[in-house]
Amino acid sequence: METTEKVLVDKNQTQGADTMVKVVNVKKCFGDLEVLRNINFEVKRGEVVCIIGPSGSGKSTMLRCLNQLERITDGEIYIEDELMDKRKNDKTVTRIDADRLQNLRCDLGMVFQNFNLFPHLTVLDNVVIAPTVVRKAKGDAIRQRALELLEMVGLKDKANEYPVRLSGGQQQRVAIARALAMDPRIMLFDEPTSALDPELVGEVLGTMKQLANEGMTMIIVTHEIGFAREVADRVIFMDDGVICEEGTPDQVILHPQEERTKSFLNKIL
Amino acid sequence: MLNSTQSWAIVNGTVITLEIALVAIVFGAVFGVIVALGRISKNKIANSLSWFYVWFFRGTPLLLQLFMIFYAVPIMYLNATGTTFEVDPMVCAFITFSLNSTAYLAEIIRAAIESIDHGQMEAAKALGMNYRQAMQKIIIPQTFKRLVAPIGNELIMLLKDTSLVSTIALFDLLRTVKTMASATGNWVYYLYAAAIYLFLTTILQVIFDKMEVKLGVYEKR
Repeated sequence: METTEKVLVDKNQTQGADTMVKVVNVKKCFGDLEVLRNINFEVKRGEVVCIIGPSGSGKSTMLRCLNQLERITDGEIYIEDELMDKRKNDKTVTRIDADRLQNLRCDLGMVFQNFNLFPHLTVLDNVVIAPTVVRKAKGDAIRQRALELLEMVGLKDKANEYPVRLSGGQQQRVAIARALAMDPRIMLFDEPTSALDPELVGEVLGTMKQLANEGMTMIIVTHEIGFAREVADRVIFMDDGVICEEGTPDQVILHPQEERTKSFLNKIL
Repeated sequence: MLNSTQSWAIVNGTVITLEIALVAIVFGAVFGVIVALGRISKNKIANSLSWFYVWFFRGTPLLLQLFMIFYAVPIMYLNATGTTFEVDPMVCAFITFSLNSTAYLAEIIRAAIESIDHGQMEAAKALGMNYRQAMQKIIIPQTFKRLVAPIGNELIMLLKDTSLVSTIALFDLLRTVKTMASATGNWVYYLYAAAIYLFLTTILQVIFDKMEVKLGVYEKR
């Protein structure tokens, strides 16, 4: 595996911190509603973590808190041992410099349930836009890299199409390429196959598997239990805003200990 | 039929009508973006200032605004400084119509921005863009197609509303033909004016229809 050339994953990212994500005592409230209650977990370099659980258990919110699409109410979040967010009662405790924050956010790539491709840009421009705008990358190098990424997700021939002409599965693969163009060190997937027709799920999971094999650190919120079993190094089961159970796929999916995990798995398997 | 003096008067009137409408739509679009951004801003001052602006300029008659600029402002200036200045009615018309169309266009632009799916802003932020970059590269470009029809509407309204400038000593198209009609007792001059207004709005309608198709090309499956 180490000998094949890594194309999707940035080649420079085998060094640095070992703990990629660390979440400490995180709480999140929407008004009176407590969606996350005291969440703690870590993700190591190269680890693939799948978060499963019933709807409304807070798993998507947890993911969105990592790159600050939602702000946490209480707690701390570290990305590669660097403090990214520390808040108490919805107020920021430690202010992080805006540039540094932007850099940290760029380390986190995100793939959404509804793809959220930019409809007014071609497939190629969707991939090129963020490096161009954020990193001021110019010219052929970034286009070359974008085409490489599109080739890896199998969509180089669609480079000049607009997203509306692509199937859901193709759009989601473009979204993966778009996120990778920023050379993120961690990829977040928020139910990436939930909006897809069943026959299109496979192609997206295939791309994600390839990414996992190349050593990308990934946090995946998913309902695809079979995929989680196959790809995850660790599975986290969340219910009602807390982590109920975590461990290897064997432990959590095949031999769950908690009642809540058992009843959830019984319902969906 | 028209003699050459009359023809030239009608041409000049048409030019004045067109000039005011075009200046107003261009300035209105530029300042409209700024006011629209104020309206959706979380900054309380920007928010209430822009709200107040729209409230005033949409809530009072255009004719009143024209009188304010043309008659009231010079008197205010005189009372404040004791000196007078030359009032150019054309400049007053440019200013008034621009201020007024800014208010309408701001609301059109605000609605267009807010109609863009929230996921677009989230995706842009997740890719590391800040608010300004996301607005500039992702959100505002997507509003263009949705803006064409209402801006076309606004421009056509403006073109016709310019007839109000006859009250501040400007000879626009309508006033020109009215003068001819009352001088000769012949109603046919009104038909000439109607034909010219229709001709101009037809051109605008065709141009804006074409623009809408062109800007929406990425939506074609």
